[in-house]
Amino acid sequence: MRKAVSFILVVIIAIGIGLSLQEVPFGKTKSEVRKYCLEKGIEQTGATNIVTSVVVNYRGFDTLGEVTVLFLAAIGLSAILYREKEGERKNRRRSSLILYTGCKFLFPLILLFGAYIFIHGHLTPGGGFQGGAIVASGFLLVILGSRSWWGFNRSKMKITESLSGLIFVVVGLLGLLYGGHFLLNYLPKGIPNELFSAGIIPIIYIAIGFKVGSEITGIIDDMIRSG
Amino acid sequence: MVNPVLLIVIPLGGAFAIPLFAFISKHLSKYISMIVALAMLIIVGVLIPAVSKNPIVVKIGGFRPPFGINLVVSPFSLFFAGIVSLVGFLVSIYAIKYIQKGDIDKYHLLFLLFLAGSVGVVLTGDIFNMFVFFEILCISSYALVAYNRDKDGVEAGIKYLIQGSVGSAFILIGIGLIYGLCGSLNMADIANQIHSVNSPLLFLALFLFITGFGIEGAIFPLNAWLPDAHSSAPSTISAVLSGFAIEVGIYAVVRFVWTVFGASNLLHFLAGLGILTLLIGELSAFKQNDIKRLLAYSSIGQIGLILFAISIGTAESISGGLFQVLSHALSKALLFLAAGYMIWKVSSRKIEEMKGIGVRMPITSFCFLIGAFSLVGLPPFIGFPSKFIIIKSALLTHQAYFYFLVGAVLLGTVIEISYFFKLLQGIFSKTEETGIDEAPLTALVPMVILTLLIVGIGVYPQAINQFLHLASHNLIDKMGYIEQVLGAL
Repeated sequence: MRKAVSFILVVIIAIGIGLSLQEVPFGKTKSEVRKYCLEKGIEQTGATNIVTSVVVNYRGFDTLGEVTVLFLAAIGLSAILYREKEGERKNRRRSSLILYTGCKFLFPLILLFGAYIFIHGHLTPGGGFQGGAIVASGFLLVILGSRSWWGFNRSKMKITESLSGLIFVVVGLLGLLYGGHFLLNYLPKGIPNELFSAGIIPIIYIAIGFKVGSEITGIIDDMIRSG
Repeated sequence: MVNPVLLIVIPLGGAFAIPLFAFISKHLSKYISMIVALAMLIIVGVLIPAVSKNPIVVKIGGFRPPFGINLVVSPFSLFFAGIVSLVGFLVSIYAIKYIQKGDIDKYHLLFLLFLAGSVGVVLTGDIFNMFVFFEILCISSYALVAYNRDKDGVEAGIKYLIQGSVGSAFILIGIGLIYGLCGSLNMADIANQIHSVNSPLLFLALFLFITGFGIEGAIFPLNAWLPDAHSSAPSTISAVLSGFAIEVGIYAVVRFVWTVFGASNLLHFLAGLGILTLLIGELSAFKQNDIKRLLAYSSIGQIGLILFAISIGTAESISGGLFQVLSHALSKALLFLAAGYMIWKVSSRKIEEMKGIGVRMPITSFCFLIGAFSLVGLPPFIGFPSKFIIIKSALLTHQAYFYFLVGAVLLGTVIEISYFFKLLQGIFSKTEETGIDEAPLTALVPMVILTLLIVGIGVYPQAINQFLHLASHNLIDKMGYIEQVLGAL
């Protein structure tokens, strides 16, 4: 019975997604909004990656909300897993020397790659969320490969998380101060395709990168500590 | 002029800042949430005169709708934002002493995000943006329901989480369908072109939206999560969940049915659903012996009444419905807050255990009494004018269908009276001395303010009548809404 119900729900959702995608012709611009963003995106936001210009600029308010949802998920999880005392730590098997060395070698490279992804969010595919997830995967690798891991220093992570969230809000508020619109792209747009272009977009994406990276790492850390 | 976007950004910023302040002291967070809620209340107060003249359309990022996201601050949406910040502020005062266990900075952080989500849902003029804020609202309430981390709380939280997530998925699919059909996410833009779209998918999308938001709005039969969640959460959270979270759900349903889809042929169905919700809520409340479950079921009943009133569809009935939203928010918040310390003192939620508490905690019990009388609809409290307007406007439609439903409303009220009197009789009965004393000042202040509001508006309903009138006309005037948003070039 339960299996049948869940199967029916999945089918409903699948049909819904299928139907909604069916109405969206691929590669054609039927909608005003899409046409507008494609035509004016580079000129108005300075970002050559149109997806980024939509995510961070046209619909930047949604992105602020989405960052908050992730923040919330991390906080909610740790509030529910919170313990008055540290629980008993289970004995974990130590990882082998090869795994340990490999992780040590890969970790800085992964961080570098993650940073590259979110710093170049306005130029190449990817951005803050993707870069942050890559950074977090680097930290996960450290946990998997470490020989004596008892949890990260969470206070540093919390500071990173809060500060980057605040930077997003403050950057938006400065727009309100300068131009009367929250999240207005008030910095010079620069020359498209250059690293220093697109105004506030790279700043926000870097903040998101740090935030997502520290949040996902925090979630992993919480789950491993509690279980 | 204050920019209304601050109503959303201030609580978000406050929530991001709380972990930093927690390094200085964990206790700072409770004052932050109070100050932030106060700031929101002040902003709403400043906006009311301006918005009464003309709704404000806020363009985020300076992009004109429908290309960017916009907020629409109309009397209708500001009314809900006002309730959120008022109840939020009073509850945050109450929480200073009440929330002592657990990770208190996380509680306040979640509480602020909860406020931000609620205000975001009511102010936004973009369906995807609404979804995002709706998610913030829902996820923070899942975590807050489970905040005590006792067995009841976690079970209720998970139950709520599962139902809420299904609802969210429905909404997201609905948004996908609408975006596919109309090529836009802006409510006014969709409303503008929805009549030229001819597809059965439109009905499916509307169905998905009503179901998805109806779960948060506790419309029967989507409200199975509510009694558990509202009764197992800390009382402050029960107060805000009942006080405005379900009303925000109703707001979303109403926004979609009226503004986005303009589906006025659905109103009779929704009115019937409202009455069904009302009767089932009241009947279930009748047999409860757990004080918070009783209040939770009574919330279901009240939400049914609100849905019924708004679905009658005349300007006056919508005014009445909004009046009822305010009346329910104040009364139910008061009841849950008063019940919070009663439960604290007798350490039980059972009604039998509350015997004689009226003598030991006179102020709390008196506030509880006022809240209960108001909810039932006795004059001179706020519940009387609101119920009166609803019933009057239903009779003025001269339709047999609504006459019949009014009968059901009155029946519901009779049931309501009987269970509240049973409860009050227990509270105010005589009993031997026990070591129970009055609630602390931080709890009494918000309760007394709520009581004064309930009596004040009840005696002088004209104070808000005009604004409600504006709000209801604002909801009905769909063409005006489209013009305000899309004309704001």
